[in-house]
Amino acid sequence: MSLNFSSPLFLFGLLGISIPVLIHLLTRRQQKQIRFSAVYLLAQSQKRSTRKSRPNRLLLLLARCLAIALFSLALANPLFSFRQSEAFLPTSPASIVFVLDDSYSMGTRSKEKTLFDHAVEYIAKGLQQAPDSSEFSLVLASSPARVEQDWTSDKLTFANKLKTQTASYRTTNIGDAIDKSIKLLESAKQKKKKIILLTDLDKNGWKEEFFFKIEYLSPYPIQILNFSRLQSGNNKGMVQSIQIAQEFLTRSRLLRVKAQIKNFSSTVSRMPLSLFLEGKLVKEEFLDISPGQTLVQKFSYPLKRNQPLNGKVQISDDALPADNSRYFPFHPSQNIQVLVVDGDPKTISHQSESFYLERALNPFSVSLSHIDPTISTLSELPLRNLSDFSVVILANVRELPSDYELELEKFVLNGGALLFGMGDQVNAKYFNERLGNLLPVKLESQYQTREGALHLLLKNNTHPVMQAFSPKALEEMREINFYSMYTMQAREHKKFKVGTWFSNQHPAVIESEMGKGIVVLFLSSLDRDWNDFPIQPTYLPWIQRWTQYAARGLENISRQDLLVGEPFRQSARDSSWLVRTPDGTLHHLENDIFRDTFQLGVYHLFSLPGAADQKVLAKLPQGAEPAGTFTVNIDTRESEPGKISQKEIEDFLAGLELEFLEPQTQTARPQTSDGVPLATPFLLMVAGMLLAEGWMVRKE
Amino acid sequence: MKNSAQTFDAKVLSRISTLKMTAMNLVEGLLTGQHRSRHKGSSVEFAEYKDYSPGDEIRHIDWKVVGKTDKYHVKQFEQSTNLKCTILLDASGSMNYQSPLNGHASKMEYARNLVAALSYLLLKQFDAVGLTLFNDQVVEHIPPRSKASHLQHILHGLANISPQGTTRISEVLGGLAERLPRRSMLILVSDFLVQNQDLQKSLKLLCSRGLEVVLFHVLHPDEIHLPFEGDMVFESLEDDPTIGLDPQDIREEYQNAIQNHINSFRKDCNGLGVDYIFLDTSEPLDQALSYYLLKRKSLIKL
Repeated sequence: MSLNFSSPLFLFGLLGISIPVLIHLLTRRQQKQIRFSAVYLLAQSQKRSTRKSRPNRLLLLLARCLAIALFSLALANPLFSFRQSEAFLPTSPASIVFVLDDSYSMGTRSKEKTLFDHAVEYIAKGLQQAPDSSEFSLVLASSPARVEQDWTSDKLTFANKLKTQTASYRTTNIGDAIDKSIKLLESAKQKKKKIILLTDLDKNGWKEEFFFKIEYLSPYPIQILNFSRLQSGNNKGMVQSIQIAQEFLTRSRLLRVKAQIKNFSSTVSRMPLSLFLEGKLVKEEFLDISPGQTLVQKFSYPLKRNQPLNGKVQISDDALPADNSRYFPFHPSQNIQVLVVDGDPKTISHQSESFYLERALNPFSVSLSHIDPTISTLSELPLRNLSDFSVVILANVRELPSDYELELEKFVLNGGALLFGMGDQVNAKYFNERLGNLLPVKLESQYQTREGALHLLLKNNTHPVMQAFSPKALEEMREINFYSMYTMQAREHKKFKVGTWFSNQHPAVIESEMGKGIVVLFLSSLDRDWNDFPIQPTYLPWIQRWTQYAARGLENISRQDLLVGEPFRQSARDSSWLVRTPDGTLHHLENDIFRDTFQLGVYHLFSLPGAADQKVLAKLPQGAEPAGTFTVNIDTRESEPGKISQKEIEDFLAGLELEFLEPQTQTARPQTSDGVPLATPFLLMVAGMLLAEGWMVRKE
Repeated sequence: MKNSAQTFDAKVLSRISTLKMTAMNLVEGLLTGQHRSRHKGSSVEFAEYKDYSPGDEIRHIDWKVVGKTDKYHVKQFEQSTNLKCTILLDASGSMNYQSPLNGHASKMEYARNLVAALSYLLLKQFDAVGLTLFNDQVVEHIPPRSKASHLQHILHGLANISPQGTTRISEVLGGLAERLPRRSMLILVSDFLVQNQDLQKSLKLLCSRGLEVVLFHVLHPDEIHLPFEGDMVFESLEDDPTIGLDPQDIREEYQNAIQNHINSFRKDCNGLGVDYIFLDTSEPLDQALSYYLLKRKSLIKL
């Protein structure tokens, strides 16, 4: 049984009891002593007398004190609960593992503090009351769970360790943390052992797979303190993801930022959404998002100079600040790396499939088009690193190397663009059987015209690729002769768009989105085998525009949008690399990998000509050249507002002795559901006391 | 002695000296004054035997006793008097009540004056007066004498009273009844604040022995009205347990109780033919005595 108060400040009103007591003492008649003769008569009279003013005065005092006390208690809004309110720490010496949830959801605000601050304070207060011979250890429950402090009986050491802890930007992993705690308890000295878990019960932290691994060595008691009740507000929303795309205009580029915003509140929320570039607010929109819905907002920003940009998208502040903004890097100066796979290379260069493509993509062999084509044969393909390219063009390819279609699928899912060109080498059976995941259509057969050539139907120029063409250019394109093409058949449950049609009502260009990337299928050849297109002036802008259009998934260009804790990889090659974290510290990359990605924000990469000699540097050394940036953002699964229920926890930790507690702090405001409200009965009792007091006064 | 004499009110003594007390009933003994007696003439009345001590007159040795007991006893004789009066004065602790509220005399002071006045009066008319002080037993006994100088003994006895102990009137009266001369007068001065004592029985015994009994019931006004205010702790002047209370709560009950107590005495006394005089120490003593003596005079004339 426990009694909680919603407004405990009113309990100071109990001091008011002193007022009637003081009045009673001040007005109390002095008790005089007198030597009297007929005392036995007094005693007889007292026995017979029904008037007893002294007990009445005491009762009066009691009634007044009770009235004031009950009134104060009523104002404090007491809630009575039958649940047992037990001590936080055992009073006898014990070995206690504190499992502290330091995930970013514990950064939820609770007035001026965060839930994490409350949890740390709670442990610190509990330590003071714990017996001296108790020993403690600290396990942090964010992913990956880790033992922050091994067993110690020194409260000061433990308290100092606690003080240095802050809420991280990681997700929760309670299962792993409990596993580590149980193993720690095996080496504990005290007989009495206990695990105290301080968490907000975020559902993301309770994954079944981690609990299966736990080896229950002994059934230790686990005390679970739920701090989520202390949060002062709700997490209204989050920036779920950002996709960066660039659109190549004739002489400039547009930065397109696509942000997904989710509304967690139960009402339609009007959220201001801001785009920051290099720390400056450049755009702001107000979004009306339905409860529980996700809205996609696109921003376009013209890039005046081809300089790298770092930015963030931010929504209005709420109780959980960590998920209100998301960072992105953008490297417009980089060229689009295109891998052209020639399926029919010839000794005479102009007969090769790639001859026209290479020249169309980069006509002057310098990066004026911002496209860098790399020609490869099928046999060289496994040697290429697909992550170095944004676009892969498979021109007249018969079959891919063994299992290479899986590599391509991964490439497209991660934001790469895949362009297919047909030709006489294409094996439709192979395409239909092995590339079913990539292609939205089935190839049927080669279609050759017998009477006249086919032309492109360019009636609607709504497609972004075609919008750049002038009417005159379009007119020229319509006159291009196509002699052969592949017919196709749509696959079930596959979505695709037809970019351009042939005059025989067959699609000429098909595009479909897959993951973050795109697959484009041109149903005629990309060389002169089946058409005259490559020698037409419009071929160059057409293939460039399709390449640029397809290369919108810039993850492969900038490639570096990581989640908290994901390692950053960079091949060392000839130089060594330096990383500057958002807080300004410099680190050398060791073994081409940087693992300390636990802060949110933009990480700057520098290349150094020489070899690294120190792991951490105080100052950027001379000769260090900026080599790009990457960003680290939170894993938004932790932001989902769902909390795990007591029943689910009991299922996960079956076999362990569980105890659920609500932490009591000064800022805690018990909910009405925590117990029976006693304010009204107390007020009625106050009225009763006042009536009794009035009756006694009148009687006297 | 000097001090004690000063405490007596001279005004009271001079005033009451003009009044004469007459005995209501016939008394044995010689009547030399205005008292009537069955026996005429004067005689020396044997009082008691006393062990012979050097200096005593040899002629007073009772040779008959010497012959019987072989011990020398001297015969002592009472001086002839018209009336033998023994005054019994309560010297228990309750008589020493001093009021914290007003300057009224304590009961003991009041009773001393009363006894002195009565003694003076009786001695002046050549009656023999004795004084017995008691609480739970006889504390001091001064045998009745009619010599004028006997007043000094009485006054001396009165002056030396230090009231203490509990009151046991019935037992004292029971003990004294045999020793008091028959058909003499007994004046009992007390506050009669005693519990569970059958005083009526003792009075009956005295009356049956032909004694004329006069009761002076002396109470302080505080004991009648209980005028105290506030929480008080009452400590007993005798051996009752201490009690704490607010007098206001029990005043009515107490006043009823004390009135019942007085009325009960009055009724019992009337029934036995005993004079009962209630005296409130706030009343002047001369008025009270005058009223009583006048009343007795009027009764004699009847």
